[in-house]
Amino acid sequence: MATEQTLRSFGCEQNLLSRPDGSANFTQGDTTVLAAVYGPGEVKMSEEIIDKATLRVIFKPKVGLPGCAEKFQERVLRNTCESVVLATLHPRSAINIILQIIQDSGSLLSCCVNAACVALMDAAVPMKCLVSAVTCALTEEGQIVLDPDSKQEKESSAVLTFAFDSRENNVITCSTKGCYTPEQYQESLSACREASKNISSFFRQAVEKRMSKELKVKT
Amino acid sequence: MAGLEIISDQGYRIDGRRSSELRKVCARMGVFTQADGSAYIEQGNTKALATVYGPHEMRKGRGKIQHDRAVVNCQFSMATFSTGERKSRPKGDRRSQEMSMHLRQTFEAVIVTELFPRSQIDIYVQILQADGGNYCACVNAATLAVIDAGIPMKDYVCACTAGFIQDSPLLDISYVEESAGAPFLTVAMMPKSEQIVLLEMNSRLHADNMEKVLDLATQGCKDVFAVLDRHVRDHVSESHALMTAS
Amino acid sequence: MKEVPMSTCEREFILSAIRDRKRIDGRQTYDYRRLKVAFGMERGCCIVELGDTKVLAQVSGKIEQPKKNRPTEGSIIINLELSPMASPAFEPGRPTESGIEMNRILERNIRDSRAVDTESLCIVAGEKVWCIRADIHVLNDEGNIMDAASIAAITALSHFRRPDVSVMGEEVTVHSPEDRDPVPLSVHHMPVCVTFAFFDQGEFLLVDPTRSEERVMNGRMVVGMNMHREICTLMMSGGMLLVKEQVLRCSQIATVKVAEIIELIQKALDKDAQARQAGEKCGFAESVPSNKITTNKKEPTSVDTTAAAQHASQVIQEAGPVDKPVSNMLVQAPGTVQIGEGLVNTWQVDDEDMESEEDSTKKTATNGREAVAVSKPTERKRPVKTVSHAEDSGSEEEEKVVLYQGDVEMKSTEEPDATTLKQPTSSNSDKPAKKKGKKKKAAQK
Repeated sequence: MATEQTLRSFGCEQNLLSRPDGSANFTQGDTTVLAAVYGPGEVKMSEEIIDKATLRVIFKPKVGLPGCAEKFQERVLRNTCESVVLATLHPRSAINIILQIIQDSGSLLSCCVNAACVALMDAAVPMKCLVSAVTCALTEEGQIVLDPDSKQEKESSAVLTFAFDSRENNVITCSTKGCYTPEQYQESLSACREASKNISSFFRQAVEKRMSKELKVKT
Repeated sequence: MAGLEIISDQGYRIDGRRSSELRKVCARMGVFTQADGSAYIEQGNTKALATVYGPHEMRKGRGKIQHDRAVVNCQFSMATFSTGERKSRPKGDRRSQEMSMHLRQTFEAVIVTELFPRSQIDIYVQILQADGGNYCACVNAATLAVIDAGIPMKDYVCACTAGFIQDSPLLDISYVEESAGAPFLTVAMMPKSEQIVLLEMNSRLHADNMEKVLDLATQGCKDVFAVLDRHVRDHVSESHALMTAS
Repeated sequence: MKEVPMSTCEREFILSAIRDRKRIDGRQTYDYRRLKVAFGMERGCCIVELGDTKVLAQVSGKIEQPKKNRPTEGSIIINLELSPMASPAFEPGRPTESGIEMNRILERNIRDSRAVDTESLCIVAGEKVWCIRADIHVLNDEGNIMDAASIAAITALSHFRRPDVSVMGEEVTVHSPEDRDPVPLSVHHMPVCVTFAFFDQGEFLLVDPTRSEERVMNGRMVVGMNMHREICTLMMSGGMLLVKEQVLRCSQIATVKVAEIIELIQKALDKDAQARQAGEKCGFAESVPSNKITTNKKEPTSVDTTAAAQHASQVIQEAGPVDKPVSNMLVQAPGTVQIGEGLVNTWQVDDEDMESEEDSTKKTATNGREAVAVSKPTERKRPVKTVSHAEDSGSEEEEKVVLYQGDVEMKSTEEPDATTLKQPTSSNSDKPAKKKGKKKKAAQK
């Protein structure tokens, strides 16, 4: 097991679209996902919940029409966001999160979660904590590769994505593909947990930079 | 289709017309007794049937009621037997939806909708045989049907196609000429004021030739108007004669 | 979500400004907004920004059978998606009327004007042709989606490279990008749409309307033109009445505008080609500007995972040994097996033998749940089955479940056994993911 793993370079751009309430473009290496948030706003009568906001996630692939795989991703993302968004503050309203894949070069799901989190922040939707997600791949030999690109993902025997909360580093979501032993699972979990701290601090830096002109940031 | 000339050396087209001649137009109004207005038109081999219901109360979609004018609702469909090969989707495909939308926009501009607030006018058009100029036949048939229904309009709407093949503009394109890939322009206009209600062009046409083709199409619309107007007057005088006689 | 209606004040303000030949954003009547074209890492991917309107286009190719009446031609599909991201009024799923209209205009502009040669897309006449698909997603709607989409479509089609194909007799080989350089599509000409907005029954016209101008306009005209001054498509609709002179004037204005736009597209394509040849890294990740306050970048970072391995083994140790699945089965009669204690036999089985062919399948049905979760018991079960019903070799695959009266209770009492097996296999808290984990195990069995 390698002791030094590298996360690819990441970047994020906030508030790049004028229509949505919040938008973010998150890149991990070459994988780029654009997320937009509308809300809290009007909700359809059929989807109304009387004491909470209704969260809706729309996941748009680049090529072709959305199918079952996209619906599954939407479900995973929705469950993740529902755990962190303080929906009870906006009853009878809807928060729509739309994700567009701009480039898929591996670790797509974690990039989507991160983009959604930054977009929710940009839209000023109240949240309990930030979500940072990391993907890792298990090679045939049992080695863990953090933040794999598409080539590494294809050659791996399992791909695991974990999303952690930023305050206590607990697991919010776990989504896996492939087969692995319980030991490998626990190892990947710990490794990703370490890596997610980097992403949380990156979020922090991004917000500090954005607000630097308006607020005096206490170091 | 090699060797099939659109225009022969003497200047005759495949169906024997000259380049600026319209196809034969036959029309009949009042085809159905149940509909408020109906009309049937034949332009050459293209046959279209139009029915108009209204103005009546808005039944579906109460959210779309306009407080100051009537809502025009159009539906275009082609019969499955209208083309050479059986058409599996008579309506609901993109082409039909686009045509329905164009028809609706055309008639919303021409019908005096301010006279009928909070109501709906339905126009249903069906192509029974398609031989080029489908949209034009629909518009002409719908005009007659609206007149038959007694709904006031600002003016007639007449439509005609004009194409540009082998450096000469042609009027009233048939299906054979359409599928040869030549550019053609569809114009729907109000003949008296020469105002264009809808303009649509396919394939490539050089900007310099645009004016010639547009002029020819305008002329064609005026010719169609002459035919339709005469027909309407004949129909009205017949009905008048019947009513005063009995 | 519904679109916020425009107030009468705003409407009147915009109209009176237009009558004064002024525009809200300070442009001249025939000026376009700033146009920016960026390419992605993949071939055939580009983002076009026209002012604030953003559109993403991606071109992909697939090999398919050609249409019956055109056996030597490939096909081009253009799909315009009004993404819910672009405007709160767009809903996912069925396209609206305006979406269909724009899609049709794009199709006519590119397909019917033969901008891309379809004959060159043929591989084997009558059997295999290339089907090129252009997906255009609208990311932000600030007016004039039509122009941005048409620019994106034709730019992406010019940028796209399809894999090289060689045909030798009956064999067709598709070369991967590593073997042979991908081949560009043969684009004859570049048709670009120019949108005109009309106000006051055609008296005033504007080029490239913004969203607020679009909401106030009477009607619009779209002129699609290419560099050679050929009009590829013309569409005027919207319930407005125009005169012939206005139409001709618009086509003249369009000529000038199209020339400017195509020049810009060519420059962008050339720049991208140069960058790719020089081996520079291309893509959207690169083009994120780093000097803006809203952007943040970080170089590749390393993560120390030594602690992770130790921590993991610690967790496993603390979790304790996994309960071995209860696998001693009590065969009561051919066709019924009991696992665990304390069950009331509701199968109405007497001591006498029940001769039935479906007995072995009942066994698989009742033990199905356990077998799915852990792979070991099934292997142990097989010898039992072969002893009693050697002739039913194909019965494992059969899904026949014969339900008897006591079946429901039987299934429910199996639950406690199933849950004890679940713990060591996954530590998810998510129910759907849990079920997925089980299914995945079954699939790998």
